[in-house]
Amino acid sequence: MKTLVLFIWKHSFFFLFLLLEGAAALLIVSNNNYQRSSFINASNGFTASILSLSNTTTHYIGLIKVNEDLANENARLRSLLPQSYMKFDTTKYEAIDSVHQQLYHYQHAEIISNSFQKRNNYLILNKGKKEKIKPMMGVITSNGIVGIVKDVSRNFCTVISVLHSKSALDVKVKNNGYTGTLVWQGGDYTIGNVHNIPSHVHINKGDTILTSGNSSIFPEGILVGTIQDFSLNPGANFYNIDLKFSVNYNKVKYVYIVDNVVKQELIELKNTMDDE
Amino acid sequence: MNKLLLINIARFIILVLLQVLIFNKINLGGYLNPYIYVMFILLLPFETPKWLLLFSAFFIGLSVDLFSGTIGMHAAAATFMAFMRPTASRVISSKREFETGILPGINDLGITWFISYSLLLVFLHHLFYFYLEVFRIGEFFQTFMRVIASTLLTTLIIVLLDLLFKREKH
Repeated sequence: MKTLVLFIWKHSFFFLFLLLEGAAALLIVSNNNYQRSSFINASNGFTASILSLSNTTTHYIGLIKVNEDLANENARLRSLLPQSYMKFDTTKYEAIDSVHQQLYHYQHAEIISNSFQKRNNYLILNKGKKEKIKPMMGVITSNGIVGIVKDVSRNFCTVISVLHSKSALDVKVKNNGYTGTLVWQGGDYTIGNVHNIPSHVHINKGDTILTSGNSSIFPEGILVGTIQDFSLNPGANFYNIDLKFSVNYNKVKYVYIVDNVVKQELIELKNTMDDE
Repeated sequence: MNKLLLINIARFIILVLLQVLIFNKINLGGYLNPYIYVMFILLLPFETPKWLLLFSAFFIGLSVDLFSGTIGMHAAAATFMAFMRPTASRVISSKREFETGILPGINDLGITWFISYSLLLVFLHHLFYFYLEVFRIGEFFQTFMRVIASTLLTTLIIVLLDLLFKREKH
């Protein structure tokens, strides 16, 4: 026993090093877990409030572009208002009200910290538990998708960006409806990859890729990007598709958090399926 | 000794703020991320007790982690770098470094010594960090290019920062 203590004491530098690396590994593992939010995370109040302070000082730089985007989006939304449609049959219009149930709720949020240059990127938004934000909600902008909410604190939430090694989103080709999986292989933040589109499907450069709505996180038909290039290895069953993201993740500033009202119901239903 | 302690605490805070508010937002060509906060570990006095070296490296890493959403990764890389520091300073030997009161830096040990010392330790830190971040062997060469390029950039910035605060010799 005495020799053991002496041994540890003699190599205390090495053992302390191991101890600290162990602590770091524990933090990494607990934080990488998708479902459970860990004790220490970037959405905690202190660090987020410093980032938010720095954000207010750099706020004004991109304002022209932001205004332009907002004006464009206003114009688009205005065209969707009931007043923008011609009504041919009043009774039918009223019938729609009782048949349709609200499926997705949107809340606007501001990005207070953004990263796009790492292999695994996260964002922090200025909405949290106070605004009833929950993990696994989708985050989109006016012209594309951004990511999925991970941890939520009182005033802030962290978002796993599309630019993340674990990000895998259900997408579809607009022309023919075939679905695939969107991943990001690192490097260029303007290019993503689409897998699992079968080789017999006819696709072209410039085809639009939309969300498929299968995951119930994002609504169906949100723009993701366009096909920049594609190839087919001899004998392969699926295309390799390079996708140009419609969002410039370097410039994005304002986003919408999407809440699927019936998602809980869907998840419970899926769970009963898994149990059997 | 108290003055040294205050200087190091101030350096800790300033480097963390520089890192998270400015250098975390720098992105050249999608590959280069300078992590200049490691300068704190480079510049700790040679007389620093070894346990303190490890602990302060762990905590500066964790501080940067908290702001970057990479919990644990910088802490692990910085601790590894601090663990390698005594070996590195032995490998890159200098006649003067074991005299008491000598501080690591261009001021006391010259620019050639400081560049090789920084290059070696920054490379070890970046190697550990980038592979930990990617965590898959399939992107081995792509990641290695990022390590090399970012090491050069980080070292350049650290040397320039150190030159900026060089004292005149009397």
